[in-house]
Amino acid sequence: MTNPAPLLDVSGLTVSYGAVEAVRGIDLKVTKGEIVTLLGANGAGKSSTLNALVGLAPRRARQLSFAGEDIAHLTPELIVRRGMTLVPEGRRIFPTLTVAEHLLLGGAKHAARGPLAETQAEMLALFPILKERLHQKAGSLSGGEQQMLAVARALMSSPDLLLLDEPSLGLAPQVVDRIFALISDLRARGLTILLVEQNVALALDIADRGYVLVNGRIEIAGSARDLMASAAIRDAYLGA
Amino acid sequence: MTLRKTLSLTALTLGLAAPALAEDLTIGLATAQTGGLAPYDQPSLAGFEMRVDEINAAGGIAGKFPIKLIAKDTRSDAAQTALVAQELVDAGVQIMITPCDADPSIAAGMITQGAGIPAFSFCATTPTLPLAVGDFMFGNYPADNVQAAMLAGHAIEAGYKTAYILTSPDSAYTLKLPQYFGQAFAAKGGTVLGEGTFAMGQQDFSAEVTKIAAMDPKPDVIMTAAYEPDFPAFVRQLRGAGVTTQVLGSDGIDSPTTFAMGDLVEGVVFSTAGFATEGSALAAFNAKYKEKTGEEPNTVYIANGYDLGTVIEVAVTKADSLDPAAIRDAIASLENVEGVTGAISYAGTMGMPLRSVSLVRIVGGNRELVTQGVPAPEEVPAP
Amino acid sequence: MDIFLQQLLNALSLGGTYALLALGLAVVFSIIGLINFAHGELMTAAGYVMAFALAAALPFPLAIALAVAAPVLLATAMERVAFRPVRGASGTTLLLTSFAVSAILRVLFQNFISARPVPVPMPSALSGVINLGPLHLGIIQSISIATTALMLIGLTLFLNRTVAGRAMRAASEDFAIVRLMGLRANGVVATAFAISGLLAGVAGLLWVAQRGSVDPLMGFLPVLKAFIAAIIGGLGSLTGAVAGGFLLGFIEVTLQAWLPEAWLPYRDAVAIMLVIAVLLFRPQGLLARKTVLKL
Ligand SMILES: Nc1ncnc2c1ncn2[C@@H]1O[C@H](COP(=O)(O)OP(=O)(O)OP(=O)(O)O)[C@@H](O)[C@H]1O
Ligand SMILES: [Mg+2]
Repeated sequence: MTNPAPLLDVSGLTVSYGAVEAVRGIDLKVTKGEIVTLLGANGAGKSSTLNALVGLAPRRARQLSFAGEDIAHLTPELIVRRGMTLVPEGRRIFPTLTVAEHLLLGGAKHAARGPLAETQAEMLALFPILKERLHQKAGSLSGGEQQMLAVARALMSSPDLLLLDEPSLGLAPQVVDRIFALISDLRARGLTILLVEQNVALALDIADRGYVLVNGRIEIAGSARDLMASAAIRDAYLGA
Repeated sequence: MTLRKTLSLTALTLGLAAPALAEDLTIGLATAQTGGLAPYDQPSLAGFEMRVDEINAAGGIAGKFPIKLIAKDTRSDAAQTALVAQELVDAGVQIMITPCDADPSIAAGMITQGAGIPAFSFCATTPTLPLAVGDFMFGNYPADNVQAAMLAGHAIEAGYKTAYILTSPDSAYTLKLPQYFGQAFAAKGGTVLGEGTFAMGQQDFSAEVTKIAAMDPKPDVIMTAAYEPDFPAFVRQLRGAGVTTQVLGSDGIDSPTTFAMGDLVEGVVFSTAGFATEGSALAAFNAKYKEKTGEEPNTVYIANGYDLGTVIEVAVTKADSLDPAAIRDAIASLENVEGVTGAISYAGTMGMPLRSVSLVRIVGGNRELVTQGVPAPEEVPAP
Repeated sequence: MDIFLQQLLNALSLGGTYALLALGLAVVFSIIGLINFAHGELMTAAGYVMAFALAAALPFPLAIALAVAAPVLLATAMERVAFRPVRGASGTTLLLTSFAVSAILRVLFQNFISARPVPVPMPSALSGVINLGPLHLGIIQSISIATTALMLIGLTLFLNRTVAGRAMRAASEDFAIVRLMGLRANGVVATAFAISGLLAGVAGLLWVAQRGSVDPLMGFLPVLKAFIAAIIGGLGSLTGAVAGGFLLGFIEVTLQAWLPEAWLPYRDAVAIMLVIAVLLFRPQGLLARKTVLKL
């Protein structure tokens, strides 16, 4: 069985905020075309991991490479320009900027007007609701619409690897379903995804593989099917 | 900001054949090298140092008391001035010189008064300064009420019947000088139509100027002791509101900025401590200063500082002693000391010098002498 | 009525200058959480360059261009040398750094230029009067109002029509996320400083035009006013800073114009009390906005 070089290859990743060590030397691999999910209880270090990968959280690592390149010393802006981006926890849209302005800024890495317009058209086709709200301030959108906008904004940079931090947080069940349908759709278009999710059943349903983070360490790793079957996971997350 | 410079001129004097009994007169300079008072203290100090150098080059006061200066920066802060004054007293100074403003001078004076050391303010003009401190405190500049009396005399002579005064409660100078003017003007039969106020340094006079523009009848003359940056801003806005009333100012506006204002200040008359008429001692001093430093003396504070050197020289000569109390008594009895700005007397003046005030008119960007002299004591409003 | 209109124009002119300054403070604060007390020294720098350019007999438009360019350069240099190393540090550290920069510049001005005011001889054409019926508007006052309007329009266009401007607005809401758009954090911060330098330069020239001189301490008071204006408006809100600047101008002129004579010496105290009253009702300022400062 051939093992292609992983798109994201991390070993010994540590994130500490002063004295607090949120992530303690984890190893992580994501291969092109996969959906990998990162599970864990509140405060386990999931967001810290994703933030560290894009350079927003203070990090140390033995190895931190993306698409074969060392990114350990790159700033977030350079990492994003290399093709990895994050949809942060809590959406973090800019309330006073319009939807169109979000898409424009999201696509700032496209120097030329052509590709920018093309990507924007693609996003509006993918998220018809954003087209209707194009000149509305993002702060006035509903929670679900804001989440769509956060994803669209990230996709505007045409990433190869998308990190998603709890995209279902605080959304109604129907909206959550739509978000997950969207994630499958994105994978079908060739995007690689690293997904942090509280809704373990949904996440494992859609993912190929998963890691379980406990107190900043990876305790369990395996295929989604194995994890789903694991008694430990069932006990911890899926209820009796 | 802790820029401290300690000047010592003893080195200069050591090379000279000093008499066997040569004893230094140590003068402490608790003045501002930085901050808001620096523009006044620095030129005063330059003139003062020039005179001290001359005295030392001639072998010291009366050929036997070389002068040693110790300068410490007060940063234009009253508390710092008191601190510096204490350090200088501890260093054994026999005479203290304090900044060009009453507040820090009072702060320093409290210390010198207690230590029994005579102190001069370089150019504070508040007539109550020596009264506030005590008999060891002296001024070195024509007091506010003296300037005001000269200006009021001029206003009456020029035929002005009504005046408006513009004051700022932010300093004794900007508040009291125009009020002294008002008193002297009223005493001579003039009428003060009103008093406007401004906050120093804010340079927005639009509201005040609009009020003046709306006055009916308009005053014949407006008097203010505002200075930079307020005076230029006031005049600009006054003229900008179409008011052409004559303006009288005081010595604070004797600065290059005023003269750079062109038509706006045409005809403005102000009081100052000295005017160099041809052949006068001040003209000779200005020429000497230019020769020595290569720069035009652009303010009278330089000559005024220079004259303080002479006052001290005469007083110490008269006391023939370095005892601070003897020096104080000598200062208080000085009469008609010949300074480059005119005769200077302390006898019977309660600490502020009686010395010449010049009134100057700005004409075409140049100075034109209106009058020069010392007002009659009965015309000077009581402090 | 005429006098009322006249005072209104006065307030507009004064408030406009405060607004430009407050805006300069707010642009930087909204992005990196720094209250730049060295903003006043940027004004002073503009004044000195104007003074020297006029003394060197350079053409007036060139002198203005240089005088506005100088604080822009100085502001970006300040950012690069002093503020970048402490970016993301606590508010206190940032504040102290800006105090230090301000003090150092003042001492440099004092020691290398002069402690005394340096005259800035504005062309005499600027000291005329425009008569609009019963209203008298000084030319400098009109220029002040017109320039403020132009600057505000220009800045609004920049912030709403260009990518860099939108990035700045976004950065003022969530700096970290702007970096996730692939936009350089340093570029955004440098732009903010350059704009604050431009605003300080223009305000500095308007200020110097009134007073005819520049001295090392010139910037202190206006920046204090601008700080108050920015607080009234809600620190970090750009529209708030402009509103705060105009409000402060109106308060000051109105009090000076209509406060009883005996109260005038307390004008500033009354003005500050009104400001405090505003803050009692709107503790976050008039147009407050939650500031997200995550780096
Ligand atoms: N900026 C920060 N400064 C200090 N500590 C932090 C910071 N961010 C996170 N932490 C701490 O790091 C630990 C991990 O936090 P993190 O946000 O990564 O957890 P999480 O797994 O994403 O949790 P949740 O499911 O609640 O989002 C927590 O103890 C948290 O308090
Ligand atoms: Mg999280």
